Amino acid sequence: MIQFIRSHPISAAVTLAGATAFGWALVVTAPQVPSLPGSELLTLLAFLAVVAVGETARVTILTGRDTTPISTAAAFGLILSDLDGGTGHPLSAATVVLAITVGMVGGSLLRGLRGAGAGIAGTSARVIGVTLAALLYRQVDFGGHTLLAWQAAWSDRRWLVAITMLAVGGVAVLFDLTLEGGVRAERDGAPLRRSIVDEYRAAAGLSTALVISGALIALAGTAIGIAALPLFLFPLILTYFAVQRFASIRTTYRETIGALSSLTDVAGYTLAGHGERVSTLSVAMGRDLGLSSRALTDLEYAALLHDLGQVALRAPIPSGATVMAAPADQQRIAHDGAEIVRSTGVLDTVAEVLEAQTAPYRQVREFGQDLPMSSRIIKVANAYDDIAGPDGSHDDRAMERIHLGLGYEYDPRVVDSLTRILVRRRRVAGR
Amino acid sequence: MTYVATVVVLAGALMTAGALWVGQPDDWFAVAVLGALGAAGALVRETYVGNRVRLSFISIILVASAVIVGPVGAGVVGAIAMSVKLDRSPIVVRTFNVAMMSSVGSAGGLVYLLVGGQADLSGTMEVDHILLGVGLPILVADVAQCLVNAILISGVLRVWGGHPVRAQVAKLLSTSGVAYVGYGVIGFLLVVLWIPARVGWFAGLLVLAPLLVARWAFDQYGEELKARERTLKALVTAVETKEPHSAGHSERVAQVSEWLAEALGLGHREIQDVRTAGMLHDIGKVVVPSQILRSKDDLTDDDLVALARHAEAGVRLGIGIEFLRAALDGVAHHHERFDGLGYPSGLAGEAIPLTARIVAVADCFEALTTARPYRPAKSVAEALVVVQERAGSQFDPDVVEALDKVLARHAWTPTEGPEEGFPGRLAMDHDEPEVSDRIAARADLRALIAGTPVPSDSRPRVPS
Repeated sequence: MIQFIRSHPISAAVTLAGATAFGWALVVTAPQVPSLPGSELLTLLAFLAVVAVGETARVTILTGRDTTPISTAAAFGLILSDLDGGTGHPLSAATVVLAITVGMVGGSLLRGLRGAGAGIAGTSARVIGVTLAALLYRQVDFGGHTLLAWQAAWSDRRWLVAITMLAVGGVAVLFDLTLEGGVRAERDGAPLRRSIVDEYRAAAGLSTALVISGALIALAGTAIGIAALPLFLFPLILTYFAVQRFASIRTTYRETIGALSSLTDVAGYTLAGHGERVSTLSVAMGRDLGLSSRALTDLEYAALLHDLGQVALRAPIPSGATVMAAPADQQRIAHDGAEIVRSTGVLDTVAEVLEAQTAPYRQVREFGQDLPMSSRIIKVANAYDDIAGPDGSHDDRAMERIHLGLGYEYDPRVVDSLTRILVRRRRVAGR
Repeated sequence: MTYVATVVVLAGALMTAGALWVGQPDDWFAVAVLGALGAAGALVRETYVGNRVRLSFISIILVASAVIVGPVGAGVVGAIAMSVKLDRSPIVVRTFNVAMMSSVGSAGGLVYLLVGGQADLSGTMEVDHILLGVGLPILVADVAQCLVNAILISGVLRVWGGHPVRAQVAKLLSTSGVAYVGYGVIGFLLVVLWIPARVGWFAGLLVLAPLLVARWAFDQYGEELKARERTLKALVTAVETKEPHSAGHSERVAQVSEWLAEALGLGHREIQDVRTAGMLHDIGKVVVPSQILRSKDDLTDDDLVALARHAEAGVRLGIGIEFLRAALDGVAHHHERFDGLGYPSGLAGEAIPLTARIVAVADCFEALTTARPYRPAKSVAEALVVVQERAGSQFDPDVVEALDKVLARHAWTPTEGPEEGFPGRLAMDHDEPEVSDRIAARADLRALIAGTPVPSDSRPRVPS
């Protein structure tokens, strides 16, 4: 536990803050629950149920994080709704937060809690996001009234109400994404700023849709009440399925690249799993060096395919270790691989990375040539895996050899990154 | 010309009927906003994704307009939406589009009122009243708009292309009917938000925004799908570099396989699987040493056994890919024979997966119509005769019959050798019927092939 907090301060802080929000909501609300009118209790339960069920409808966005658009939209719908059951006393921020949090946790349990650490931190980040929205909309005073009270005052300027709702939702989502980015940066060992920007970018479309859907549920609720909840989630559900299809095809696309990569394994040109290992190592280095998520995808594909050119060889080279092959042969293999990849017509950037993967670093220094960072990374990762072997048992020899070529063959910045990755790996393995 | 004039008159008549019944719309500002939204929707047009999924913004706007601004207003919205469309189509086409969309809008508005939809929504209403008195009539109006749209478009196709109206209507309804229900629901949401919830014009932007995101995701999906197809092709190209003289073989086998699957009446999904199987059937050749693939001398028994391993090796390559699962049966068994004397498993008759029986015929037919150093390409008729002689022995007679039909329907050009000529001698291709017969006659060879050790997890499932 202590160990975890020490190595993951951001996750620990986010989880603690989420738990605090829940505790606050519980303590403030618990005494009020018995005095809630029946109709309001029913509405709360309906929202709670949708949040819980929505929790099971997950979709993986580009950064590899699971999101729950439907659950979050229902949560915003509740936060922004003017529910007073005719009593004149709108539900407090704490009550709303409690219902949502119970729904989220219940939904997660429904789904079977899997993966500790990041999973809990992610849920906590969302709890903090909705708490922020609830406080902004239902508790904080803006010119003597809460925004919820202003909603009644602006009954003939409903577009202004809509814009206010979007603003509150937007602020909450941005805050949530910032926290999620922080948690992810810590878990993957990536630079903080890069991770947060990636998170914004990857979640932009879906987040816009869910904030708007939340506002729609609240706006229409004044006319059709709780019926607004299922009805106005409908466009978002369409969006969810579209994004879901996009996510699933991305997975099968990755599988296809994987098959292309295993071609040289199956044919006996390379050692089994070489492509996957070089890819894992390259992506870790790319992340460490702050590449964008798009560049990381290209890097991953290029690393998987870096030995593809060997298919055209008449006879395999020993153990498929290109680091041992003559420079001219290395270049031909790289070129043949790039040609095959270029023939797809959709992976041109990957082909460029492959083409340059054998070029020594000194070309950057001496001739000012512009070698893609991804190529330099793959060159180092490939050399490491070729020499260190599948189980990394010749790790020392690999590092020694790479250090001999430092600045001449290999980019010192990339080698530093490799060293950091290996230290981190050893620490994780040793724990 | 006459037809377009008729549609224009129809649009005018519908609008007049609306004007006589309920008069002009009260809120011309709403008409302008809806018209602008409709025009924007017409500009982005529909996206088609794979089969049957599409999104049409203008249909949503029109169904909502039918209620918000009434029949006359909806007619005007339809006309505005289509008239700003910037393309260079002839004036007749544009006139038709304007008149058609105007008719669709007005018709929706009239039907909504006819079935008792509430015209004035500005007062306070009970929830069930909104759902039943507005929601249900909107769905009816939506169906009416879908029908009017389908009929008018079919009419124009009849006049200009000679397509029978009834078949066209049926086709349009089956492709867009389900989507229209969705448009109706979203149109209703727009109405609720616009009037009873008093959000007004801003509602248009709010309701359409999540749909724009959906559209974006569908577009991305289409891109990735394309990328995946291309990458699969690269996988094939990569293997063909080992054997330059058979470049393009897989692609052509995939084409014939697809045609055969269509002729045999398979479903959309199965056809795609058969096509993929045809594309990948020789992918396992990557394990066969280049010396054998490019051998100049006749293959020895050992060479033949090594070559035969490609069927199972292909499965091993594709095993990790979820969407290839159905196609892999076809890859594993494309050298089985109907009489049970093929390889690797020696399956017979219906026990061979249908995909494999199809690919087997396509594979052999393509090989026969391709030139080799040792013989010229056979003509389509000659190749068909060879295949037909083998119905029941090497091939499934039903598939052979389908091949006959396919060749009557599609043109096929035999593939001549490379222009600079072949590199020299080449051993007989493994797809030649003679090679199949040679293995069929040798139980010992088949036992060797079947006994070739492969990791147990990648052994294809053998139907019992």
